[in-house]
Amino acid sequence: MTLWLTIIAAGVVTYLTRASFIAAGDRVKLPVSVERSLNHVGPAAFAAIAAPALLGGDQFAEFSDDIPRLIAVSVAGLVIWRTRNVPASLVCGMGTLWMILWLS
Amino acid sequence: MASGCRSLRPVTDFSFDRRAFFAGFREVIALAVPGAPFGFVLGVVIADSGLDQLAAWFSSPIVLAGASQLAAIELLAESAGSAVVLVTVAFINSRHVMYSAALRPRFRGFPRWFRAVGPYVLLDQSFALAVSQPDDMSDDERMWHFLGSGAFLWLMWMCSTGAGVLVGDITEPEWQLGFAVPILFGGLMLLSVSNRAGGVAAAIGATVAVAGAGLPQGSGVLLAIVLGVAAGGFTESRTEVVR
Repeated sequence: MTLWLTIIAAGVVTYLTRASFIAAGDRVKLPVSVERSLNHVGPAAFAAIAAPALLGGDQFAEFSDDIPRLIAVSVAGLVIWRTRNVPASLVCGMGTLWMILWLS
Repeated sequence: MASGCRSLRPVTDFSFDRRAFFAGFREVIALAVPGAPFGFVLGVVIADSGLDQLAAWFSSPIVLAGASQLAAIELLAESAGSAVVLVTVAFINSRHVMYSAALRPRFRGFPRWFRAVGPYVLLDQSFALAVSQPDDMSDDERMWHFLGSGAFLWLMWMCSTGAGVLVGDITEPEWQLGFAVPILFGGLMLLSVSNRAGGVAAAIGATVAVAGAGLPQGSGVLLAIVLGVAAGGFTESRTEVVR
């Protein structure tokens, strides 16, 4: 029973983080400068999610494991920069990683 | 031109827009799929946790946030107290507050029921898709597009975590499927940076997240987003003064 209650409470907490500003609508006002800065949530958040996994995520990994990953993510970055195509960058990035792992 | 067209549209009642819904449903697939292996792993962890599996799996529809579900299941399996679990979940999911704030201006004209129901499917991927939609999209299109992306993410999360519970551990081939997640978000970062201020926000966000990786779960990411956003806003205001 405690398990169910804890999970439901965790769901409520999570829902509240998501609903916060959307549900508040115009009832909460932020300074104009803050409101405009929120345009940068995307770049900051995506970078914050990606960077630890790319760089520090595997502290204990062998150095040789990092090189294929760096090459793979560079290929993916190049593809998305040139084509702006997310699926293509995923396929090329993972394809590169598998090819290197398979050859080595 | 675009706004001129829009003013000719009849006042919308936000009734179901099949085209926009399935456009969102389709367009989020590429963003969602890299998360599927993680969902499967979470299911395996649930199966091996020793907890009531039905209750633990129900964290998928109830919480619908992978990293926090994983942390909660692990804590519950070690019989941690509810308060510890809830604080951890709140920290890990605190980044959603920033997503909610960033989407608010776009969702402002949406009906009341959406403001209650819509946030349930505000995930990293539906946020990424929603902020990348064009400015001249109409309100009802934008709303159904978002809900369509949420519907796919929801279905995929139920299936991938459910499959993990049912199938259980499989010998993982050395495919490093999890690496698709940082590739995806690295790419989304490149796509979302449109000016110098955005670049600064991304650079600060990445640096703080790496430096803060040792902080209590989730708080490093929140700090990284807040400081990145502040640095981006600061850069923008300075650029304007110079101009």
